[in-house]
Amino acid sequence: MNRVLVITGWGVASPVGIGAEDFAAAVRDRRGGVGDVRDLFDGQLPDRPAAALAAFRARDHLGRKGTGSLDRGTALALVAAGHALADAELVLDSDRAQATGVVLGTTAGSVQSVAEYDRDTLVQDKPYLVEPMLFPTTVMNCAAGRTAIRHGLKGVNATVAGGQLALVQVLRYTRNALTRGHAETVLAGAFEELSPHRAWQHRVAGTDGDAVGEGAGVFVVELPATAQDAGRVPRAAVLAVETAVGDDAGSALARCLARALEDAGVAPERVTLVATGERGEAGVDAAERTGIAAVLGDVPLLAVKDLVGGCDAAAGAFQLAALLARYRDGHRGVTVLTSVTAEGTAGVAVLSDVTSEGTAGVAVLTDDVTGWSDVD
Amino acid sequence: MDRRVVVTGLGPVSSIGVGVEAFGAALRAGRSGVAPITSFDTTGFPHVVAGEVPDFEPAEHLRVLDPARWGRSSLFAASAARLAVEDAKVDPDLLARSRSGSVVGTTSGESRVVQALSGQWVADGFTAWSPEEVGKLPASRLALAVNRELGLTGEAMTLSTACAATNYAIGYAYDLVAGGDADFVVAAGADSTVRWAHAGFYRLGALAEHASAPFDRDRTGVITAEGGCALFLESYDSAVARGAFVYAEVMGYGLTCDANHPVAPDPEGIARCIRRAHESAGIVPSDVDYICAHGTGTQANDLAEAQAVLEVFGPQPPPMSSIKSMLGHTMGAASGFGAIAAILGLTEGFLPPTINHRTPDPALAGIDPVPNESRPARLDVVQNNGFAFGGNNAITIFGRVG
Repeated sequence: MNRVLVITGWGVASPVGIGAEDFAAAVRDRRGGVGDVRDLFDGQLPDRPAAALAAFRARDHLGRKGTGSLDRGTALALVAAGHALADAELVLDSDRAQATGVVLGTTAGSVQSVAEYDRDTLVQDKPYLVEPMLFPTTVMNCAAGRTAIRHGLKGVNATVAGGQLALVQVLRYTRNALTRGHAETVLAGAFEELSPHRAWQHRVAGTDGDAVGEGAGVFVVELPATAQDAGRVPRAAVLAVETAVGDDAGSALARCLARALEDAGVAPERVTLVATGERGEAGVDAAERTGIAAVLGDVPLLAVKDLVGGCDAAAGAFQLAALLARYRDGHRGVTVLTSVTAEGTAGVAVLSDVTSEGTAGVAVLTDDVTGWSDVD
Repeated sequence: MDRRVVVTGLGPVSSIGVGVEAFGAALRAGRSGVAPITSFDTTGFPHVVAGEVPDFEPAEHLRVLDPARWGRSSLFAASAARLAVEDAKVDPDLLARSRSGSVVGTTSGESRVVQALSGQWVADGFTAWSPEEVGKLPASRLALAVNRELGLTGEAMTLSTACAATNYAIGYAYDLVAGGDADFVVAAGADSTVRWAHAGFYRLGALAEHASAPFDRDRTGVITAEGGCALFLESYDSAVARGAFVYAEVMGYGLTCDANHPVAPDPEGIARCIRRAHESAGIVPSDVDYICAHGTGTQANDLAEAQAVLEVFGPQPPPMSSIKSMLGHTMGAASGFGAIAAILGLTEGFLPPTINHRTPDPALAGIDPVPNESRPARLDVVQNNGFAFGGNNAITIFGRVG
């Protein structure tokens, strides 16, 4: 089981709070972030409730320097990454910085930034008079690059355009980077910004029956031995991560889920909780439940979307954060995160708490538990 | 124990040729694919050429996908993947029932879709958008298009690490096969030319007017370009078992981040990336016979890249040419085209040239850019550089299978 990963810190910038503590409290209290957002974005949003970080200003969290040229999604990712690093108490000397990477998930970057850049080429007398300082915001790897710059992270720096499956794909990419020696520690996460352009995508696609949301979640992910050597306490273990492309979402998810549990060595009846994605596309949520029921039977579900809205690429990050919040509050046992899309793709992550004996699910993470003796 | 990973199929869809034969011949001939832009109205733009693929007809290549339901970049990726699989002569049924998937690199994903939606928004507001067009927007569809076209049921990952993206894709695909997670993986790349990127490079002072002249003293920048590229990867044992032609072995790769500047390249980060790639491949600098450069033709890139190469290789590095002089800068696909060019150089015994070369740059002394004409050469190990905004560096290494 040398492919088990541990999460040693996490941070979010979410509609229900910034940082792990606020987010965990919101999950505990079922405190939602959906509200009236008509005052935001100069009234360009469709007339629907949304889950926004309504008062969010990048400079309040990141300082004034350089924040003027950040797109909103990048700013949210930077804030979440800062909280994750602080939560893990990660200290980076020069060698550690070169072995520390960033892997972030997105749908299509900042569509608002691109569309506004494109608009300038259409409406200005001189089509080329676009703002050079904003050009990097039109590229999807902006957030990952900026995260590296802000924190001096010189290792693997990747952006995964996974849409609803982003977090699961980010975890797969991260697991590969860690197990094959490309990095020792990875800040893995996903982000999505609210903008008129994104809200209208949901409106036009008919997925805004539920509120559109936004935010970012970032997780410090390592191999168990790395965490133990550094004295960092795992908040949870990632036992398996799978994706599948199938004919329909339900069967793809069932196949993916069965394979993930097999890889984790966990019997279906040991799963205690499933954090669902609730994509909101026609038929997809029902297919997600069908796929779960086919493999796990009747199992408790946790729909964090009720709190944070439909967050596309960030959805999986908030699902993972919600499971970590439950572990933080004393939940024990194996949990699962599911993502499905109308395109017939599915993703699954299998998690577990880490006991003071250094076990997670059926995995034994360490022979020497002294480093984790304070896990309760 | 890692499995050896080899490349057994190549699929270029480019401005200088579609398919491995046409592409290889164009590289040898030093042909330029740069021409006046036809995909958007260039009125008011000072620079009006690009490396478009104006006669790209996805229906000529695709057997499964309906081109009307996918964006241009997805169609580039799927067409290139179909070409690579045909080139590999792999049984489609074997492929569909195996543990197989795709990894696709891109800078801007479905940029033509965004451009169309943006135009509708500016002209008529958000209500002008259609669900069909909005549905084409997620960049994840590039990899999904490849899987759908080829019937692959495993990994479908789009890596959007800007202009180094396809080297990331090749690296991840290599790991999937080497580590035993997958048996067949298509590593691909795709991007489409758009008005806003053309404007952005111009305003950065990084857009050449007529031609890209990498490593020339008087180089003035990139020519924006587009296309799709794909490499078919499998284990060496699998290739031998099915009697496939083996182009080259994927020996390893390196990834680093400058963590320094959003757009400016950094020789330190690049040198670190070269060393990591060599370490991963189990080689030393003197093993490398050719470097397919990132070579954008900007003053900053070519200087930083040359400095890093000279630092790692010493004063006499192997020849290092830039195929962007012929193709233009195909963004996320660029390092995939670089990989194909380097591999064809290895299998066919030639060094692809840097065309448009007039005046050597004294600041790049020691760099042999293979000026203007391809040269015969025996290449056993080739290095393929890819760098990106965000300080993202990715380098792949390929070797002769012997």
